[in-house]
Amino acid sequence: MSEMANTDPEGIDAVRMTWNVWPRTKVEASACVIPLAVSIAPIRSHPDIPTLPYAPLRCKSCSSALNAFARVDFTAKIWICPFCYQRNHFPPHYAMISETNLPCELYPQYTTVQYSLQANPDPNNPSNVPQLPPVFVFVLDMCMIEEELGFVKSAMKQALGLLPEHALVGFVSFGTQAHVHELGFSDISKVYVFRGNKEISKEQVLEQLGLGSAGRRPTAGYPKGLQNGHSNTGVNRFLLPASDCEYTLNSLLDELQTDQWPVQPGNRASRCTGVALSVATGLLGACMPGTGARIIALVGGPCTEGPGTIVSKDLSEPVRSHKDLDKDAAPYFKKAVRFYDSLAKQLVSQGHVLDLFASALDQVGVAEMKVAVERTGGLVVLAESFGHSVFKGSFRRMFKDGEQSLGLCFNGLLEINCSKDIKIQGVIGPCTSLEKKGPNVSDTVIGEGSTSAWKMCGLDKSTCLTVLFDISSTERSNAPGTANSQLYLQFLTSYQDPEGKRMLRVTTLTRQWVDSAVSTEELVHGFDQEAAAVVMARVTSLKMEMEDGFDATRWLDRNLIRVCSKFGEYRKDDASSFTLNPCFSLFPQFMFNLRRSQFVQVFNNSPDETAYFRMLLNRENITNAAVMIQPSLISYSFNSLPQPALLDVASISADRILLLDAYFSIVIFHGMTIAQWRNMGYQSQPEHQAFSQLLQAPHVDAQMIIQERFPVPRLVVCDQHGSQARFLLAKLNPSATYNNSIDMTAGSDIIFTDDVSLQIFFEHLQKLAVQS
Amino acid sequence: MATPMPSGVPRQPPPQTDNPNFQQKQESLPDDLQKWNPNKPSPFPGSAPTLPPLVRPPPSSSTSAPSQPNSRPGAPPPLVVPGPNVPPNVGSVRPFGPPNGPPSPFRSPSGPPSPFGPPSGPPSPFGTRPPPGSLPSSMGGGPVISPRGSGAPGPGGRPGAFGSSSRNGPPVGVPPPMMVTGRSPGPAPSMGPFVGSPQASPKPGPPTQSAPPFSAPLAAPFGTQTWAPGQVAPPTAAPNAAVQPPRMFGMPPPQPNQPLPAIDQTGASLEDARKINSNQIPRPTTSYSKIQYDTRQGNQANIPPPASCDYIVKDTGNCSPRYMRCTIHQVPCTADLLTNCGMELALMVQPLAPLHPSEEPIPVVDFGEGGPIRCSRCKGYINPFMRFTDHGRQFICNFCGCVGSTPHEYQCNLGPDGRRRDADERPELCRGTVEFVATKDYMMRDPMPAVYFFLIDVSMNAIRTGATAAACAAISQVIADLPEGPRTMLGIATFDSTVHFYNLKRVLHQPLMLIVPDVHDVYIPLETDVVVQLSECRKHIEQLLESIPTMFQDNSTAESAFVAAIKAAFLAIKSSGGKLLVFQSVLPSVGMIALSARDAEGRGNISAGEKEPHKPLQPADKALKTMAIEFAECQVCVDVFTTTQTYVDIASISVIPGTTGGQVYYYYPFSSISDPVKLYNDLRWNITRPQGFEAVMRVRCSQGIDVKEYHGNFCKRIPTDVDLPGIDSDKAIVVTLKHDDKLQDGSECAFQCALLYTTVYGQRRIRVSTLSLPCTRNITNLFRATDLDAQFVCSLKQVANEIPFTPLLQIREQVTNICINKLLAYRKFCTTATTSGQFILPEALKLLPLYTLALTKSTGLQTDVKIDDRSFWINYVSHISTPSAVCLVLPQMIAVHNLDFDKQEENGSAIPPVLPLSSEFVSEEGIYLLENGVNGLIYIGSLVDSNIVRQLFGFSTVEETPTQFALQQYDNPLSKKLNDVVNEIRHQRCSYLRWTLCRKGDASGALFFSYLIEDATPKDGPSYSEFLAHLHRSIQAKMS
Repeated sequence: MSEMANTDPEGIDAVRMTWNVWPRTKVEASACVIPLAVSIAPIRSHPDIPTLPYAPLRCKSCSSALNAFARVDFTAKIWICPFCYQRNHFPPHYAMISETNLPCELYPQYTTVQYSLQANPDPNNPSNVPQLPPVFVFVLDMCMIEEELGFVKSAMKQALGLLPEHALVGFVSFGTQAHVHELGFSDISKVYVFRGNKEISKEQVLEQLGLGSAGRRPTAGYPKGLQNGHSNTGVNRFLLPASDCEYTLNSLLDELQTDQWPVQPGNRASRCTGVALSVATGLLGACMPGTGARIIALVGGPCTEGPGTIVSKDLSEPVRSHKDLDKDAAPYFKKAVRFYDSLAKQLVSQGHVLDLFASALDQVGVAEMKVAVERTGGLVVLAESFGHSVFKGSFRRMFKDGEQSLGLCFNGLLEINCSKDIKIQGVIGPCTSLEKKGPNVSDTVIGEGSTSAWKMCGLDKSTCLTVLFDISSTERSNAPGTANSQLYLQFLTSYQDPEGKRMLRVTTLTRQWVDSAVSTEELVHGFDQEAAAVVMARVTSLKMEMEDGFDATRWLDRNLIRVCSKFGEYRKDDASSFTLNPCFSLFPQFMFNLRRSQFVQVFNNSPDETAYFRMLLNRENITNAAVMIQPSLISYSFNSLPQPALLDVASISADRILLLDAYFSIVIFHGMTIAQWRNMGYQSQPEHQAFSQLLQAPHVDAQMIIQERFPVPRLVVCDQHGSQARFLLAKLNPSATYNNSIDMTAGSDIIFTDDVSLQIFFEHLQKLAVQS
Repeated sequence: MATPMPSGVPRQPPPQTDNPNFQQKQESLPDDLQKWNPNKPSPFPGSAPTLPPLVRPPPSSSTSAPSQPNSRPGAPPPLVVPGPNVPPNVGSVRPFGPPNGPPSPFRSPSGPPSPFGPPSGPPSPFGTRPPPGSLPSSMGGGPVISPRGSGAPGPGGRPGAFGSSSRNGPPVGVPPPMMVTGRSPGPAPSMGPFVGSPQASPKPGPPTQSAPPFSAPLAAPFGTQTWAPGQVAPPTAAPNAAVQPPRMFGMPPPQPNQPLPAIDQTGASLEDARKINSNQIPRPTTSYSKIQYDTRQGNQANIPPPASCDYIVKDTGNCSPRYMRCTIHQVPCTADLLTNCGMELALMVQPLAPLHPSEEPIPVVDFGEGGPIRCSRCKGYINPFMRFTDHGRQFICNFCGCVGSTPHEYQCNLGPDGRRRDADERPELCRGTVEFVATKDYMMRDPMPAVYFFLIDVSMNAIRTGATAAACAAISQVIADLPEGPRTMLGIATFDSTVHFYNLKRVLHQPLMLIVPDVHDVYIPLETDVVVQLSECRKHIEQLLESIPTMFQDNSTAESAFVAAIKAAFLAIKSSGGKLLVFQSVLPSVGMIALSARDAEGRGNISAGEKEPHKPLQPADKALKTMAIEFAECQVCVDVFTTTQTYVDIASISVIPGTTGGQVYYYYPFSSISDPVKLYNDLRWNITRPQGFEAVMRVRCSQGIDVKEYHGNFCKRIPTDVDLPGIDSDKAIVVTLKHDDKLQDGSECAFQCALLYTTVYGQRRIRVSTLSLPCTRNITNLFRATDLDAQFVCSLKQVANEIPFTPLLQIREQVTNICINKLLAYRKFCTTATTSGQFILPEALKLLPLYTLALTKSTGLQTDVKIDDRSFWINYVSHISTPSAVCLVLPQMIAVHNLDFDKQEENGSAIPPVLPLSSEFVSEEGIYLLENGVNGLIYIGSLVDSNIVRQLFGFSTVEETPTQFALQQYDNPLSKKLNDVVNEIRHQRCSYLRWTLCRKGDASGALFFSYLIEDATPKDGPSYSEFLAHLHRSIQAKMS
C-alpha cells in the first residue's frame, strides 16, 4: 500500500503495462522474458474523464473510434486512423471542426473519453429506449443448520431493503430440489419445483415455468388478447419490482424452512446447486434480451445432487483436495467443470452474471463453479459462515449505494484495436472471448483468446483485465522510413451502467517502439516491476490450472534467472559483481514472495480457496494484486509514527504492534509486551492514553482498508505467540528459524520452517544469473 | 336435491349403521337427495312378502296361477312356470295389474313383468330337488313352445296370428286394462310352456308329466287361437312365432316335451308381431316378497334365488350367493358334458358384497398366533367340508384330498355322524363364509394406513364447467366420512399442464403450493407433508379446498397432464399405498403418455365400414398398462371421476383404474346443475362403502376343476392370484373354470375364495368363502341348475372384453349364437321327444332370449355410440356385480304420472310395478321413469296433463323441459311420491343415478326410446318377438 499510496500510477487511463516501451520484433520480445501485457480497469472512474453525449466516430475500415492520436486534416475535414491509416471524412455535424474548435475526443489529454450512448434517444420513438431495470435473482441454499439459515435470511432481507425500487427481484431456493417462487401469485405461496438430479435445458425451464413459446401457445378457441398484449409478461410472475415484492419475500423468508428432505445419517445433505443455477439461468432467459441481470447464489455447502455435483453424499468421502486433482482422483471434478462451463456459456449468451457467496466450513465447489463466475464477471465471496463479517460485510456492500457503491454494471463489451504487428494473445480476467477473429488476433492463446472482442456480463469500477500481446513481425519490416515509432492500442468498452444507461468508454494508448537489439536501456526504463510481478503471478496461476504437471516454482525461477541474466549487470561467473537496475530491484523479491504465496503453494489451501484467490488476483488492479503477492507490513510503536516494516520475522518485536495487509486477511499483531499491558488494562487508565491510542491506531487503519475493499477481508487480531499469530508468521520472510536463531534477542521471534529465506534465495539467484 | 349440496348439510351416519335403514322404513330415507346416503349398499328391493324359496308349490298351484293373472310376480312358485305374464295382461297395463293380488308365493304365472320376477322362477324348480320325489315334477317346468299350435302352418303364413293379437291391444302402448281380466283365465295355461321350466330332460322324463294335462291343452288353444288367423298375415308373419311364445309364458308347469306350435320362421311383419302378443313374451317379473334362503339343506347345496331379487340368506355351510355364485349349481362331471350343454362354468365372486340387513354378520375367527388351519399341501383354508377322521386327529382336505394332522389344540372328538362335536360352535366348521384374523405370516409389512389422495383437474375447462368447484365441494363434505383416527392420511394435488402439490402441514398461515412442472418425468416435491394425517390438518385442508376454485379462476391453461399428475400423486403415496381419487375433465394432452383425440375422424361413432373401427376402444399406449401395474404393486388403487363435456379417451384412461381395482365414473356431458350432487354421492359411496386395501385373492377348487381365468379390475402378476390394491363391496370378479379331470358323480366339488385384505381400520383379515356343489353326469340337471343371471353376467363380461378387438357385428352375432347354442343344446339333449317345430325354453333360461336381445342393444353393442360411452360401458361392466349387471342391460321402467292413485303400500314397496321395455307401454299422456343403475331417464309424454308436470317438475309445459335437470321435491303428494320412488331406487342400486328429462322430438327422447329394447330399431336389431322368431328359426335350422 504504502509506497503507492499517494500516487495514481494508473492515471486517467487506468492502465498499467509491464513494458512501457515495446521491442520491435518477436525475438526481442521473447528475450524480454516478461510478457508484453496491459492491465486495464476498463470502467474505473476518474474525475478527469469527460462524458460526451454523442456516439464516437468510427474508422470505416477498422472501426476504431476517433481519438486524440488521429491525424486531422481540418481543411479537407478528414481524419486518418492511427491504426490502419484509413482516411475518414468527418460527417456533416463535425463541419465546425477546426484547429481551435476541437471536439473533446481530440484533446490530447483526453486519451480516455466516455460516450453516453443514450443521451440522444430517438425523439420519435421514446419507447424504443426502454430503461431496463436490473434484475436480481437470489438463489438460496436451504441445506443449512437453522442458525446459518437465520443469518442468511436476515442478510437477504437487508439486501432487499437496499435494492433500488424498480429493480426486479426473483427468488429460487434449493435443497434436494430447486424451488422457483412465483412472487406474483397472491392467493397462496406458489412454488415451481424442479427435480435436483436431472439436468435441465433452458428451453425446458422456460416451458415448465410456462414461459416458453410452447407454454404460451394460444389455445384454439380462447381469447388471444391476453397473450398478445404482453408478449413477455410471463416472466413478471417470477420477477417483480423490489418495491412490490418486498413484503411477499420477507414473509416468504420468514416461513422458509431448511430443506425438508431427510438426510441419512452419515451423509451430506442433498443439494442441487447445479440445477438451481440452471433453473435461475433459464428463468432469466425469458427476460428481454439486453436486460442486465445477476444471479446471486448463496451457497452453504457442496453440490451433491444432479449436475454439478462435486462430491458424493457419503460423508466418509472427503471433498477433493489439490492432491486428488493432481492425481486425477477427483471423480466428479471434470464433469462438474464441464457442467458449469456450459452454464457459463448460457449465461454469457444471455449477458447475465453469476455471483457466488459461499459460506461453509468445508468446500462448496468454488473451484468447479469458478468458470461460471469468472466468465460472467460475477463477484465471489468465500467465508466460513453466513454470520461471519466477511460475508455480511461483503453482501451488504454489494447493494450499497453512493460512495461505497461497487458500481455494478452489466453487459459489458470490450473491443481492442491495435497497431499492425501487434497481436492479441488473450485476456486474463473476468470476461469471455467472443471469438471475433481479426488480423490482430494471435495464434497463441493465453486465457480468453482467439478474439479481439470480449463479453463482460458483469463489471464494476474496479474490474481489471490483463491483456497479453505478442509482436508478429520477425524482421524490421517497417524500416526507419515509415516513421511510425509509436504503437497504438485502443480499448473500447461499452456497458450498461447501474441506471441502465448505455455507455461507451474509449481509451487510446500510445507507446514507443524501441529497437532493443541495440540497447536495453530504454526497455529497462520502461519496465514496471510491480505490474510485471502481478502479470507473472497471473500467468503462473493460469498455467497451473491449464497445464498438467506444470512446475510453477521452477518456471518462475527460470524466468527470474533469465531476467536477471538479461537485465542485470555483472561479470560472468562472478556472483558478487551482480547488480540490478533500480527498475528491476524489487522484482526478485516479488518473485520470492510469489513462490511462497497461496497462488503457487496451493497445497496449503483447498482447491476452493485457491480458485477464490486466483479469481480475485485476476480481477483486482495491480496495486491490490501486488499486495496479495507480497503483503504490506506496518509497524506501530511508541517511538515513531506508523511506518512500513520489512516483511521479515525480524520486524517482530515485543513492544510493537504490526499490521499486516495480505489483502484477504488483515492481521493486527501485538508484541508480547503490548499484549501483556493490554491484558492488564492499561489502556483504560487515563494516564496511559498514549497506549490506548497506540492500540487503537492499527484498528483504525485496518477499518479504512476494510471499508474500501471488496470482498471484505478477514480481520485477525492476535498476540505474539498466540495461535492466531500464524496468519502473520506465514507471510514473513523466515530470516530467523530454529536453524539459525543464534542471536535471538528478547521479544524477537523465529519461524519454524525449513523454507529458505530471502537472503539465501538471493545468493542462489546471483550465482545462477551470472552463470554463462 | 337439485341444489348443489351446501357444505352445511348434515352428514349421513357412517355406512355400517345404515344398512338397516334400507328396508326398514321408507321414512328413514331422507327426502332429499342431499341427504341420501349411498352408503348403504342394499341391493335389495323394498321389503316384500317373504316366500320361502324352498317351498315348492304343488303343481296344482300352477293351475291356479293362470286364474290370477294379476297377482304380483312376487316369488314365482318353484315349480310353477315362472312366466309372469298372464295372457290377460296382454294388452293392458301389466304393471298395474298387481294391485289386486297379494303376492302369493305360489302363484307364479301371473304378474306383471318385473325384472326380478323371472329369475325367481327358475330357482324354484331346483328347490324341489331336495325331496327326491319332487324332482321329477320340477322337471316338468317349461320348455317354451313355439307359438304355433299343432295346426301351425308353415312358416310363411304366420302373420295370421297377429290378427288375433290385434284385438288384444291397441297398437299403442296402452292396452285397455279390460283385456286383462277377460283374457287371463283362458290363455294363461297355455302360456306356461313358454316360460318354460328349465328342463325337459328326457331321462327323468316320466316324472315331468305332471304338467301334461296342461300342456296339451295349452299348446293347442294357442296354436289355434293365435295362429289360426294365420292366413291373415301375408309373408310378414315371421315374427308371429315370437308372438306366440308370449302367451305361453304365463304357463305354469308345462311339460317340457310338450309340443308347442312351431314358431313360424318366415318373417311376419314386425308391426303385427308387436301388436299382437308382445305381452305374452317371457319377461322378468318383479318380486316384492322376500325370500328366505338357506345355503344348504339336508346336507345338500341349495339352488340360490336369482341375483336381482330380494332374499335373505342363512349361511348353513355354503357361502351366500352374494359372495360366490356359480353359473351352474351342479358341476358337470366331465368337460364333454359341459361342452355339450353349451354353457360356461364360472364363478361370480364378489368377496365384500354387502349383506342384507337381516342377515347375520360374518363371524370373525381368531386362531391366535398359529393362524387359521390350512391344508398343508394346497393351502386351502379350513371349512365345513373338510372331513375329520381318526377321532379328529386328522383331516382330509376337500380340495386336494391330502390328509393333514390336526394341531393338538384344535383337536376334538367326532360325533356319531362323523362330524366334530364342536362343529356347530365353530363358525369355520359350519359356515360358508368366515373371516380369519391374519397373523404376521400374512403381512409383508404392517397393515397400511388408510391413505386418500385427491387429485383435481383445474385446467381451464374444468374450472369453467364448474367441475373443479363440484369436486372440491364434494371432497370437502366427504372428508367428514373418512375413518377417524391417526391412521387416516390425506393428500391433495391439482393439475393442469403441471402438477400442483400442497404442503398441508405448515405452521404458518396458508398451505404452500408446490408445482411440479416437468410433466414428462414427474417426481414429488416433498417427501413429507404432502400427505398428512387428516386429524392434524383438517383446517388447512378445508381451507385449501375452499380456495382452489377461486385460486384457479382465471387459469387459461387448457392442457391437461393427467397421466403425469396421476404418476406424481402415485409417487406421493407410493410408500404406503392407498386410494387415489382423480377428478378429471379434459383429454390428457401434454406430458407423459399424452393422448390424442382419436375420435376426431369418426365423429365419435363407429361405423362398420371403417377399418378397425374398434381401434379407439383399445388403450392408446401400452405404457399405461405398465404404469398401472407399477401402481398395483405399490397398492395404489385409482378411481377416476370424469366430469367432462368432450372426448377424454376413456379407453386409455380406464386402464389404470381397471388394473388397480378402481373404477371410472363418467359424467358426460357434465352439468354444473345436475351433476355435483351425484358426484358427491358417488364419492361418498366410494369412500364409505365396505372396502379393503392391499388385497390378494385366490380361488381354489377341488381336484378335477381348475381356475381358467379371472376377469375383473385387478392386477395379475402370478397366474394363481389376483392383486387388488383396492377391493370394495361393488366389485365382482368372474372366475372361469375348466376341467382337468373327471369328477365323481354324486361327489361334491368345492370352491373356495380366499381374500386377504386390510380393513380401513388397519386390521389384516382373510375372508374365506366356500361353496360346495354336487357333481352330476346328467345334462338335464345342468339345465335345471343353471343360474341365468350368473350365466348372463359371465357372457356379458366376456363380450365386453371382446368389444375393443372385434367388429361389432361379429360380436352381436356371437352373442346370439351363444344363446342359440344353449337353447339348441337343451333342445337336442333334453327335449328329444318334442317335435322340431316347437320352440322350447328351459325354465331356468326362459329369459335368456330377452337378456340376449337386451345385450345386443346395450350401449356396448349399439351402433351409434360415442367412443367414450362405449369405453365407459366396457370398463363399468368389467367390475360390475351380478345384480347390477342385469339391470344395466335390462333397465326398469315405471310409470310415474299416476303415482298417487296407485296404492302400493301393501307390498311394502314404493316402487310401482315395472313396465315392459316396449314403446307399446309408453303413452304420450304419461310420464315414465327408466333407470339402469347408472342413468335415470324421465320421459314426459307430449300430451301429459300440465298440472301433473307442474306438480312434479315445477314447469308447466313439456316444451319448457330443461336440458339440465335436478330433481326437486315440491309441496304436493305426487312430487313426494316421485321423490320417494327415486330415493328407493337409489337405495336399491347404491347409485345416485344421473337424471335426464326426456321429451319427444329431440335427442333426449331418442335416448329414452333407445332403452326400450323390446322395440325394433333399424340399426340395432329386431323387436323382441322378431328375435324369438329368429332364434326359433336358427335352432330349427340347426336341428335339421
